[in-house]
Amino acid sequence: MAQLRSEPDIQTGTGELGGAGEPGGDREGVTGRSPLELLFRRFRRDRFALVGVVFIIIMIILAVGAPVIAKLVGHAPNDVSFYRQMSNELGLPKGPNLRLDFFFGADTVGRDVFVRVMYGARTSLTVAFVATGIALLIGVAIGLLAGFYRGKVDTVLSRAIDVVLSLPVLLLALGLVSACGATQQGCLAGLLKPGLGLVSLVIGFFSWPYIARIVRGQVLSLREREFVEAARSQGAGNLRIMFREILPNVAAPIIVYTTLIIPNNILFEAALSFLGVGVPDTTPSWGRMLNDASQIFTVAWWMMLFPGLFLFMTTLAFNLVGDGLRDALDPRTAR
Amino acid sequence: MKAITKTIVVTAIFALAATACGGGGGGGGTGTATPTGGGVEKGGTLKLGLSADVSNAYDPQKEYAALSFEFFRCCLLRTLVQFPGLEADNGGNELGPDIAESLPEESADGLTYTFHLKQGIHYAPPLQDVEVTAQDFVRALMRESDPEASAQGYPFYYSPIQGFDDAAGGSIKGLETPDDYTLVVHLTQPTGDFPFRMSMPATAPIPPNPSDPSAALGVAEGHTKDYGRFLIATGPYMFEGSETMDFSVPADQQTKNPGYVPGRSMTLVRNPSWSDDTVRPAYVDRIEVAIGGTDIDLANKIDAGELDMDLSGVPPAQQIQAWQADPNRQDQIHANPSDGVRYLTMNMAMPPFDDVQVRRAIEYVVDKDALRRTRGGPLFGDLAGHFIPSTLLGGLNSDYDPYASPNGQGDVTKAKAEMAQSVYDTDQDGICDAPECKGVLAITDNQPPYPENNAILVDNLSQIGIELDVKTGDRYTFMYDKCLTPESHAAFCPSIGWFKDYPDALTFGPPTLGSESIGSFDIPLAGATPEQLKGWGYTVTEVPSFDDKFAECSAMALGAERLQCWADADKLIMETAPVVPWLFDKDVDLSGDRIVNYTYDSSAGLASLDHLALVGGGA
Repeated sequence: MAQLRSEPDIQTGTGELGGAGEPGGDREGVTGRSPLELLFRRFRRDRFALVGVVFIIIMIILAVGAPVIAKLVGHAPNDVSFYRQMSNELGLPKGPNLRLDFFFGADTVGRDVFVRVMYGARTSLTVAFVATGIALLIGVAIGLLAGFYRGKVDTVLSRAIDVVLSLPVLLLALGLVSACGATQQGCLAGLLKPGLGLVSLVIGFFSWPYIARIVRGQVLSLREREFVEAARSQGAGNLRIMFREILPNVAAPIIVYTTLIIPNNILFEAALSFLGVGVPDTTPSWGRMLNDASQIFTVAWWMMLFPGLFLFMTTLAFNLVGDGLRDALDPRTAR
Repeated sequence: MKAITKTIVVTAIFALAATACGGGGGGGGTGTATPTGGGVEKGGTLKLGLSADVSNAYDPQKEYAALSFEFFRCCLLRTLVQFPGLEADNGGNELGPDIAESLPEESADGLTYTFHLKQGIHYAPPLQDVEVTAQDFVRALMRESDPEASAQGYPFYYSPIQGFDDAAGGSIKGLETPDDYTLVVHLTQPTGDFPFRMSMPATAPIPPNPSDPSAALGVAEGHTKDYGRFLIATGPYMFEGSETMDFSVPADQQTKNPGYVPGRSMTLVRNPSWSDDTVRPAYVDRIEVAIGGTDIDLANKIDAGELDMDLSGVPPAQQIQAWQADPNRQDQIHANPSDGVRYLTMNMAMPPFDDVQVRRAIEYVVDKDALRRTRGGPLFGDLAGHFIPSTLLGGLNSDYDPYASPNGQGDVTKAKAEMAQSVYDTDQDGICDAPECKGVLAITDNQPPYPENNAILVDNLSQIGIELDVKTGDRYTFMYDKCLTPESHAAFCPSIGWFKDYPDALTFGPPTLGSESIGSFDIPLAGATPEQLKGWGYTVTEVPSFDDKFAECSAMALGAERLQCWADADKLIMETAPVVPWLFDKDVDLSGDRIVNYTYDSSAGLASLDHLALVGGGA
């Protein structure tokens, strides 16, 4: 009978096979791969996920290049000088007009919807990455500590996680952003000024518990493995073990769950902006563009379609990537 | 759940939420032609919508907005003298007698006015046996003199009455009732427009309490904060269920008028005691007011026939567009001048607005045409070049536009020329470079079209180097709270409008730019003293004052000289530039298919509710 050609899908966290694996071993069949390498190899086979990656890269390029795009088209995102040309006598906006380079039409003050959608990508992606980054830092730190030290430390931190998870997210976020956004000084003596930073902070604050829980669970199971004992017998202190032995092996699930949080955070910012307590007026945001459109889309469909479409596709792309990573992490859960 | 499913569900929820919040406009119902000519039939239930309730629950000494003035005049409260609720060219601005038999007698020196009351006019249930007497008007003015009861109102209009300013809710020396049907008013100085002031709802009679004759304020006793919930009507209508009110128990045990639920609904039914009234036709039997919803929601309901009219807002542009295209609804679109001005205010105690050159630069740079367009375009009024409407100046100043620009779109060149003369433009290039021009705090309304206005103003002002830091919020709880409070240091309040209180130019002077209105609508702080400025934390020590000019004009008798004086005051205001007027407002109403005899009340600036009737008597 033929030899099975698939790689040994060893679901292992053991550093022995990982960190100390034979470099570039080319023996037939069995090659040592770290969990991360396995993750990405399997991921590459998921076509939907790859489409998602491509889309995200395109969005990042568009977001970074938004000012260039605005210059090429000739309309700045808050430029109202075309208001009379792109509205009728009653002030209602006009739709896509190629002659004037308004590809997605104009909004209620004559601003270019296409350019604003590009700038909105900046807002969504910035918040997504910054907020998720904040959640990542806090979540990994707390999850590591809770899972590693266990006992009282774990009890306290786990309760903290429970408390934050139980908070009424939308109400608190609304309250925080509107209270700290109402005055010039902001909250905490000027530390929390209204803007992208405050919104990212708020969103990050509400999403770290998810990561913390995952990390804690992984760390709890890992700390009992032989490689940890081995490291300890070699005289490694707690911090060294946490960062050099455990953390690398938790990297894979961290990446997966972090990626899955990103679409939630994108939608969270859009929701806050939709409700009027997200980023300030001068910063284009897909969420607020949808709010602006909600009163008028029956006569200005372009104001709702384009921001909505881009929000949908970006969120979908991240979801596809996240799902692909999760399936790659544990093929048994793949559908 | 799978990624795709999850994303679709969430986006769908978004879309649904957007639809629910926004509503699908333009129902497309075809209007039936409103019958023209023929008799107007009495009867039926008029259904009105309001997106927001009045701010003081119909307390007549506190309410100071067009909406409440209309409900008081048309329906709930009669006064000594009143306007007929008609268009301006139909006599709408002519004062006539209401509870008084005729207009008051004025003494030769202008210091005494005598009113003779009609006899036999009774209050609505539960006080249907109580007759209106002269003392009831004294009672209203006593309540008006109590600063707590008249907070947010207009007590300053009655300062000329002898002893009013010192009364603080007690008896007023200058008011005399030689008998039950005669009221004599003694003034400290001649006040040419005084009879107009007795048409305002704050002067409507307050009945005595039959169960407590010693109560100085009658049925209003013990209700300093919320007399509107216990209002006794004298007009053709009253709140439904008024008769259930019981004034024999102590004030804090009295049940409120059930026909008005603040913030939710209001129901008016006919007042059985109403009689002897030549002012009000009062065709409909019942008025139901639903409070709440956006203008889009209300527009949808009108298109669907669930409501007859939206009283509060500006009809949405897409609804106007649909009706203009509908041949059956052409005569249901009404636009009437409201003798009001929409304007931007600059706090003259906040740099850089303490420099008149900066203020004049802003007068030039604002694109008034674009601001009007966000509101719905030329249908909503003419661009304003000066502050006091010429209709209140007998036509004077109608060509006066000191900061004119081509098509009203703003003139950046002239704006820069003004800015170059300012101390805040150190290199005199017409663009402000001082740090005071950055981060200028602007407090605005968050409802359309004010956010759109903000986008235009931010762009306009940036061309002369002024960067606005725009904050938006609810009109009453946020914007007025900050803009009307000197201590909050709001520099720029652009979402402001002012409408005449009665047809005299004085109503545009002291209430908006007089020192007695600081803390109320004198947002630019005109007339503030150095001590006041210091007390509020300002570094600026001096601001311009219009008080002397206003006092000069106020004293004059009605006539050409008074009109010229106010026209000169208008010019002084524009030269000092504390405000940038941009629109002489028109009230635009879309009357529903059932409404016949639509009439405009030019005294209140709204539809004349006592003149509206329903087709077929509401059958």
